[in-house]
Amino acid sequence: MDFLLNALATSFTPVSLVAVVAGTFIGLVFGSIPGLTFTVALALVLPVTFSLESTPAIALLLGTYIGGMTGGSVSAILLGIPGTPSAAATVLDGYQMTRRGKAALALGTAVIVSTVGGLISLLVMIVSVDFVARMALRFGPAEIFALVLFGLSTICGLSEKSLLRGMIAGVIGLMIMTMGLDEIDGVQRLTFGTITLQQGVNLLVAMIALFAVPHIIEAFVQYYRGEEQPVRAADVNVELPRWKDLRENFWLMIRCALMGTGIGAIPGTGGPIAAFLAYAHARRSSKDSIPLGKGSLAGVVAPETANNAVTGGTMIPLLALGIPGDPATAIVLSGLLIHGLVPGPMLFLEHPDTIYSVYIVIILSYIAVLAIQLFGIRLFVQLLRVPAHMLAVAITVMCGFGAFAVRNSVFDVYTMGILGVLAYALMRARIPLTPIILGLVLGPTLEREFRTAYILSEGDPMIYVSSVPAVIFLALAALVFAMPALKMLRKPKNREA
Amino acid sequence: MRAYHRDRITATALLAFAIVWCVVVWQTIPVGSPGSVGPRAFPLGLGILLAVLSGLLLVRAQVRKRIETAADEADDTPDDSTSMSGAHEGTYLRMVFSVFAVIVAYGFLMEKIGFVLATLVTIPAMMMLVLGIRDPLRIAGMAFGMTFGCWLVFGKLLGAYLPPGTWLSLF
Repeated sequence: MDFLLNALATSFTPVSLVAVVAGTFIGLVFGSIPGLTFTVALALVLPVTFSLESTPAIALLLGTYIGGMTGGSVSAILLGIPGTPSAAATVLDGYQMTRRGKAALALGTAVIVSTVGGLISLLVMIVSVDFVARMALRFGPAEIFALVLFGLSTICGLSEKSLLRGMIAGVIGLMIMTMGLDEIDGVQRLTFGTITLQQGVNLLVAMIALFAVPHIIEAFVQYYRGEEQPVRAADVNVELPRWKDLRENFWLMIRCALMGTGIGAIPGTGGPIAAFLAYAHARRSSKDSIPLGKGSLAGVVAPETANNAVTGGTMIPLLALGIPGDPATAIVLSGLLIHGLVPGPMLFLEHPDTIYSVYIVIILSYIAVLAIQLFGIRLFVQLLRVPAHMLAVAITVMCGFGAFAVRNSVFDVYTMGILGVLAYALMRARIPLTPIILGLVLGPTLEREFRTAYILSEGDPMIYVSSVPAVIFLALAALVFAMPALKMLRKPKNREA
Repeated sequence: MRAYHRDRITATALLAFAIVWCVVVWQTIPVGSPGSVGPRAFPLGLGILLAVLSGLLLVRAQVRKRIETAADEADDTPDDSTSMSGAHEGTYLRMVFSVFAVIVAYGFLMEKIGFVLATLVTIPAMMMLVLGIRDPLRIAGMAFGMTFGCWLVFGKLLGAYLPPGTWLSLF
């Protein structure tokens, strides 16, 4: 009870409340503008969290994450262009509703069901996360190594089209993280005698470089080639759905929320898959007079409930096991690490008040999403009209300052520039960037636990398969890696080189 | 540029990087004490893995080249994609270089003349030299707006450290 009261006290301070509102607003803005993902927003707000206490920092990051997940629906409904990949399924009926003159109702419904979906997923998360963490408390280095390897297998889900390219990206991420001072032996690795490289490549600098710099270059290229699309969005308000409409879609909402939470809990899946599966489910089960695809309300309810429910789902492996399911939660994880909060079972023992703070912040974020979208929708419509190249100029400045703020070092700004250009080159070579992040985040733990287990077993390699959980995780990892490979072998004609 | 051609360049570059990585790791990182996994094991293993994966990508590119060449021989329609993509590659390279130069210059200026002046200089330079914008009102509005906004939010509200500049300092 004391922990809960402590969490309430830290979550309801003016700084925390401002952080929630600011984060949600930033997330909504970045989420609603096509091409600007909320992952970029998270990478940019991350250095800002340095100057904050842990709870406001969590509030800023989670607010950005939740706001971004919801914001994607604005442009999906008004322009027919999803602001985030998670909102792609919302385009199908949301934009049709706009064309039928029901944009206000579509926006209002999206806001309400997003909040409901998010809060249901939070409930499921609260019930399950503690159980998962308790189980994980029994894990030793070998089990944690196997678990992290399983977490890395989500590269398959993040590899876009080619498993081979995804694996190359993951390995590059792991390689970058081996640079610097070795944790176990204290040996310098690939520092080339420089003091600045002894701390290795900073995770936050790498994240800014990987997410924001390629976006800036791409926006400038589009502007230079005259391919930038001017946005013409009409002024709208938000119209709340009628009680009857909500009641008719009540069970659909519940089913899609549970579906979204379940999918979110599986690392490497995320919002787009949840939204499309929910949409497919709505198509099968809908009794709406308007068929799905023609501007049905159920076609907005299902994907929007599911993609927001993913937020609670992704928090389960993140908090209980320290495994991020997608790039956004990887950034949230690094934000927690900055403040000395290591997600995993020990967090539940050492910082239970932090766990309660996360729950409270999620609730506050959804309330902020609801309020900002209901009263500030006109502002988002205006923001959609800001040209992408001007936003890119602003982002360049924020990246430069963000990279500097990490360690008050200009060296990090230069590192960001180099890594950003390399990231863009990899992107142009169709190497996906998200597996690099997974490698960066999980790499140190993977190596540390592998080596610790080996030392503890006095050189016996059987330590890695000596317990049931380790064997299960290793088998799951092997299965996840083998599945796409088998699929590719079965379809040799369609495979992507 | 055809997809297989790009894949071949990517795979070759990655393979070369992996080999250089392995050589540097082998020469500079000690193997560690016997009976334990030393500090060299992971970087070396990852370098070897990258080399293998790059090799696989190279093999795939070769296979794809053979398939596409056979398909081209069967289809005699002229292909004008090469010249178009050449022009696009030029734009990409120019922008990559420009953004990199802007970031490096911004970092350098932040250290030498401080955050406020560096931002006031970098934004107009970026808008004029990289984007070719000539509207003075737009440039001034963006430069002053962003500088003031960042100074207020980061420096004053969040209390973040803004570099004051070693050569010249405004704040």
